[in-house]
Amino acid sequence: MIQTLLEPKYLLTILLMGTIVYITYLTKRNASASDFFVGGRSFGWFTNGSAIGGDYLSAATFLGLAGLTFQLGYDGAYYTFCFSIGLTLLAIFVAGPLRRFGAYTVADFLAYRFHSQRARLTAVVVVLAISGFYAAPQLLGAAQILSMFFGTSYEFGIIFTCTLMVFYVGVGGMKGTTLNQALELWIRLAAFVAMTVIAIYIGLHYNQILANISDFKGTIANTAQYTTDGKDVVADGDSWSGTGNYFPTFWQTISMTIGLSLGTIGLPHLLLRFYTNPSAKAARRSALMAIGIASVFFLFAVYLGAVGRAIFIKGEASSQVMSDLITGGNNMVVPSTAQALGGDWLLGLVIAGAFAAIFSNLSGLFIASSGALAHDVYATVLKKNITQKQRVVAGKVAIVILGVLYGALGLLVKDASIGHLVALAFTVAASTFTPIFILGIWWRGMTEKGAIAGLLIGLGVSMYMIFFKDTLPTFLQFNVPGIITVPIGFLSVYIVSKLDRKVPGDVNEFMKKVHSKESEIA
Amino acid sequence: MASEFKDDYEYVPAEKVDIKDLPPLDPETSKIMKQEFGTGSKLTIFYYIFILSIPILNWYAPEFFFSRIWGGMTYSWFFTSIVAMVLAFGIAYIHTYLYEKRLKKYEGENNTDSQERRNVN
Repeated sequence: MIQTLLEPKYLLTILLMGTIVYITYLTKRNASASDFFVGGRSFGWFTNGSAIGGDYLSAATFLGLAGLTFQLGYDGAYYTFCFSIGLTLLAIFVAGPLRRFGAYTVADFLAYRFHSQRARLTAVVVVLAISGFYAAPQLLGAAQILSMFFGTSYEFGIIFTCTLMVFYVGVGGMKGTTLNQALELWIRLAAFVAMTVIAIYIGLHYNQILANISDFKGTIANTAQYTTDGKDVVADGDSWSGTGNYFPTFWQTISMTIGLSLGTIGLPHLLLRFYTNPSAKAARRSALMAIGIASVFFLFAVYLGAVGRAIFIKGEASSQVMSDLITGGNNMVVPSTAQALGGDWLLGLVIAGAFAAIFSNLSGLFIASSGALAHDVYATVLKKNITQKQRVVAGKVAIVILGVLYGALGLLVKDASIGHLVALAFTVAASTFTPIFILGIWWRGMTEKGAIAGLLIGLGVSMYMIFFKDTLPTFLQFNVPGIITVPIGFLSVYIVSKLDRKVPGDVNEFMKKVHSKESEIA
Repeated sequence: MASEFKDDYEYVPAEKVDIKDLPPLDPETSKIMKQEFGTGSKLTIFYYIFILSIPILNWYAPEFFFSRIWGGMTYSWFFTSIVAMVLAFGIAYIHTYLYEKRLKKYEGENNTDSQERRNVN
């Protein structure tokens, strides 16, 4: 037993869990709603920048992007590129003004921009939809990783992860969540840096491995014993280096680019993070730091996917590595490459990093959704005038409810595609909150009816185009229908606002508040 | 009003007015918004020209864009997986730098104004 626990993968994962529990314990005191939902707005740019990076770089990015590059080649690299765009747009148009506005939740923005509880409740529905679509694939990934490395059942994986999340977010609130997210980001980055340094040290230079992969055409040695048909795996370097493996047409590529790049602006758990900075200046610097980290991370992810491919086509790795690369699916590419490069200790660091990615992203979703339920629905609509302490209790109860709901959702999506669910979350976000925040911050003419119409139409159209894709004509069938749904979202807000014309009487004060340099200095 | 967001705020409904009856924004906020939006838009347009040029060249000039420049590194791979990452940070850095420069200038002007007011008094 002790021998097993001393194996690097167990040891490093237990160390991570122990650190999470310790940080959560240290930050358990949440006296006010501000402490619980926005960490007392006390985080500097470094901590919050790290936490934003931790929130954004989920398990799907930590394990999935290198895996996609390994499998699809250039199209996997292009998919990664699409993820790298959104944070920059968020930093340019939304981060600073959103912090100057200052609130607890995403729905607060609409409620105060339009003085409307209807707008608040509509936003809550969209927050819960996006967070649910995003949480389900994270839980799916968590259960798969637990099963792959520790041999647990899918159901155990879901229940274990949800229980840990309820403790982690429920006890620590935004303070514990932020510090844990920051720590978890650096664990992941350390794993990628270690892998990259070793790969370069042993001579796997980028230009050289790309040449080896591109020039390779034929069967890969020592693979027949792991395939179901008993034949060696066939690889075509030309196809791997070109486009068309994942994006079948030019317009599918453009639609994916629009959906993923603009979706980031509308992700509630990312938007919420900008409320935790003490000032708009710190919010912008946090965003800049997160972009820097994410850029390095994406650069490494694509390189490591190519490294994994180069090791694979050579056919000389250990039988365990070759077997995992063939039978383990995309999520096994980073762990298998780590094992090939640095043995059990590097594999252990990658497994700890994978859990760090899941916990980090899920905790952000839990805190964003708990704010929507406890603050937007309970404390603002159902039971007004409750004390600060009661608000914190409501937040904790909401986290337990979400743990049960997300757990049920996780059990339902056992056979779903992680990529499909993540794409759904990004499409809904790009078609709902992205138009609302960009127009709400920069255009006085946006009205309450315009905002509600934009949210509902954007949500409805994007869900229909993904869930009922087969009922649409072929030219409208997109994997990520951003090219259709995002313009519809923007146009719905614009046209309904133009027809309505009734703006809040204090919209000028609102604009002054979110843009003025005075409020920045204050 | 939304501008005074405090921990124990009160929700205050506001009247609605027709957009044509809305007074113009005060000149200072209007100027700040124009400056900020202008800078952001220029950077975004430049960024999106770069972003969209990659799939356009991939699909309409593949012989050139998938040709090798360094070992197995093609133009396409280089711009998609290396230049794009540097540019994402570069654009955000320029934006933050220009914003902080404007803020510093504003703080400087503000300090001079209050200094002048103190001298008059």
